[in-house]
Amino acid sequence: MTSLSATLAEPQHFSLPEKLLFFLLLFASIWLFWRRFGPILEKILKSRKDPDFRLAPIGRRIWDFFTEVICQVKVIQQRPLPGLAHAFVFWGFCAFALVTLNHAAVGFGVGFLDPAAWYGRVYFYLAAAFAIACAIGIAGLFIRRFFVRPRWLGKKVSNESGVIAGLIFLLMVTYLAAFFTTDAAPAARLLWWIHTLTLLVFLPLIPHTKHLHLVLSPATIFLKRDGFSHIPPLVGDEDFGLVAGKDITQLVSLQAYSCVECGRCSEHCPATNTGKELNPKEIILGMRGYLNGPGPASEQAILAAEDGTAYVSQKAVFQCTTCGSCEFQCPVGIQHLPIMVGLRRGAVNTGTWEDDYGAKLFNQLERGSNALGISAIERDKFIQKQELPLFDGTQEYCLWLGCMGGYDPKGRDIVAAFARVMQHLGTSFGVLKKEKCTGDPVRRLGNDLVFQTLAEENLKNLAQNKVKNIISICPHCVRTIQEDWKAYGTPPEIEHHTEFMARFADRLQPIQSQEKIVFHDPCYLGRNRNVYDQPRQLVQITGTLIEAPRHRERSFCCGAGGGLAFLGEETGDRVSHTRAQELVATGAQTVATACPFCNTMFRDALGEMNGTAPQLLDVAQLIARNLDS
Amino acid sequence: MKIIVAIKQVPERDAQVRIDSSGKWIEESEVQYAMNESDAYALEEALQLKEKHSGEVVVVSAGPERVGTTIREALAKGADRAIHIDCSDLAQRDALGSARLLAEAIRGENADLVLTGLQSDDLGYGQTGVILAELLGVPHATLILHVEKTDAGLKVKRELEAGWFQEIELPLPAALTIQSGGNKLRYATLMGIKKAKTKEMRVVSAADLGAAATPVATLQSIELPKKQRSTQIIEGDAKAAAATLVEKLKFEVRVL
Ligand code: SF4
Ligand code: SF4
Repeated sequence: MTSLSATLAEPQHFSLPEKLLFFLLLFASIWLFWRRFGPILEKILKSRKDPDFRLAPIGRRIWDFFTEVICQVKVIQQRPLPGLAHAFVFWGFCAFALVTLNHAAVGFGVGFLDPAAWYGRVYFYLAAAFAIACAIGIAGLFIRRFFVRPRWLGKKVSNESGVIAGLIFLLMVTYLAAFFTTDAAPAARLLWWIHTLTLLVFLPLIPHTKHLHLVLSPATIFLKRDGFSHIPPLVGDEDFGLVAGKDITQLVSLQAYSCVECGRCSEHCPATNTGKELNPKEIILGMRGYLNGPGPASEQAILAAEDGTAYVSQKAVFQCTTCGSCEFQCPVGIQHLPIMVGLRRGAVNTGTWEDDYGAKLFNQLERGSNALGISAIERDKFIQKQELPLFDGTQEYCLWLGCMGGYDPKGRDIVAAFARVMQHLGTSFGVLKKEKCTGDPVRRLGNDLVFQTLAEENLKNLAQNKVKNIISICPHCVRTIQEDWKAYGTPPEIEHHTEFMARFADRLQPIQSQEKIVFHDPCYLGRNRNVYDQPRQLVQITGTLIEAPRHRERSFCCGAGGGLAFLGEETGDRVSHTRAQELVATGAQTVATACPFCNTMFRDALGEMNGTAPQLLDVAQLIARNLDS
Repeated sequence: MKIIVAIKQVPERDAQVRIDSSGKWIEESEVQYAMNESDAYALEEALQLKEKHSGEVVVVSAGPERVGTTIREALAKGADRAIHIDCSDLAQRDALGSARLLAEAIRGENADLVLTGLQSDDLGYGQTGVILAELLGVPHATLILHVEKTDAGLKVKRELEAGWFQEIELPLPAALTIQSGGNKLRYATLMGIKKAKTKEMRVVSAADLGAAATPVATLQSIELPKKQRSTQIIEGDAKAAAATLVEKLKFEVRVL
């Protein structure tokens, strides 16, 4: 009978045939692993180099690696229970690395961790603790996947992940069981062999399944591009975006092969959640499918127009609001937006995207000044009527109106309210005599020609007017001016009006009010710019802040971004309606926004709602209201 | 089918114009330029005809160096080559003067079809295309929304007043002036712009063409529109007032 021994049992003295068998199996296992992994690695390395890749700032990379890989922060934070289970499995694996090496070494009679020595004892006990956690974790994940079955894992849950879970569980159990036998017992030898065979089956399965992320994702996270939703520059005369395999860069390949199919991106995607064809996970898997098929040097188009031969659906790609939820959520560092916008660029820059609304928008911005297609005289009239001072180089700030602020009635109300706040604070500002669209919608839709023209003309205009600091009521303008214009010059400093107002919060006449106000985080202010607290601070001085179920980093898009505000009817439910209902359900009397696009979307959505809809105000309007009362 | 499209570069739709010291034209350095709107539709029509029946689309445009950007835009959208008539006195020429330039530049091309926009967004004479047809000695039709090639020549749809249309047929070669809105415009692409760089753009000077510049009609002066506002209060009960209002909107303001 076996009895509980204080140490891990290891079989002694393997016979020569046993050693030979082990050697052969080990060789076969590694060979099977490499036969699949080698070509994948080759595809990644053979992809085009990323033109703007830089290792610096290395500190940021190390930090991301530490938090996202080692500490599993994102995995846990965004899905606490399964995240924790995953973290245990991961940490279990890390602790197990040494155990496994020693295990194999024992097979050749060169074990280096003596279970009887004090360090061996300490280490094996530590690993045992992790093994228990890991076994519980993987069992939990197995139950979740096969019995709870969350919707976003897809309709078919792959059986292979069940097999893998079983193997991991077996690895842990056979390890733990070895504490309950002795070196000499036949059970020890049996356990050693089961453990070994499990390992040897597991290894080649890694590159054949989504468990490839075990190998790739630490590199993916370490190497991901700097910046959120970054759009890389086009280089040379033959680069139009992601048209075919030849345009796929190494980072895109690495990311496509790293996807673990967790569906976190889809879970948060406004398009997927409102019945559109777009599913960000499928886009990534489509890219992988392309790499496995035509491959990185191919000239075959990635997108083909709706005839079914496409690896990625063009229709789906143009349903993206560029809200950035997918990129923010992805636990393995996949950056969806460079891919999404890259595919759009490929389609628009070569003229294969045919869409009446899109063509109209592009034509409007080719010859006109704003995305709404209204005559610039209307902007002049608004400036006169509102008595907004013109910027003459002496004022501290240039107030950038943007298309919405200059032409949309609601946007104009926001500008007027914010101007009132600036006057109250005694800040000097002026507006430009002429302005053109920043190019945000065409940038996100992938029209580099129109975007470049707009960016260059605006930069020239701002330089001529000697503008140093800009404030804007529109997060899209802020992002585009600050980030995207960089490709064509040095833009002035810019900030969003909520950031500006929050600095003067103590001078904005707080009032005690029970009015329940729910704040909707705009995608381009929150996930894009990391501004979450300032607007909340401002809401709190005018009423009682309440939160929607999805807020801050997890805020749900209004549906307007990515140029979609200018395209035609949506299929499925409207994103704006879905979000508006969520906001109304909080019981708030007022919905506060900080983006003129969110504002128009909700204006329409709330207008169509039955019953009394809450009032809808920009944060600037809330503050101006305080000043007036 | 060889199609020539005459294109004019005009001040951008949103341009804020100022009258120059001569009082006869605007301060050109202050405005940005774009392709004349109905010319853009003429180009679109030409490109669609080429796509259906194959052939060649040649654009011709008169004006100073800046016209090059508009020509490149046309090449980017799909025109095959271009002729740039280099001249700086376009605003001083009357419609006959401009048409003469165009006619001399394209005469040797022997095109099957010549298209122009209905009228220019700046001077708005609406005659250049028609005179051009006359100078080339080909039949013409104006205000065209739709063009169809037939065995005998062309079948075209003209826009008349008050929602009426007319369909007529004419033989080739011919010249047409195209109305805005008949087609959906395509957008210029980055790839198109890159390709445009390699396409032929022949520059000819107005002097070389020998087209007389002495205008038959001279431009005396131009003025910015005066802003007028007038308010009328319509008295009486709602029904009668509404009737008067409709009357006024119809016949005085002419918006109904
Ligand atoms: S950016 Fe937003 S809309 Fe686009 S795929 Fe990602 S989650 Fe979906
Ligand atoms: S892209 Fe990222 S978030 Fe989406 S399924 Fe793949 S690993 Fe998960």
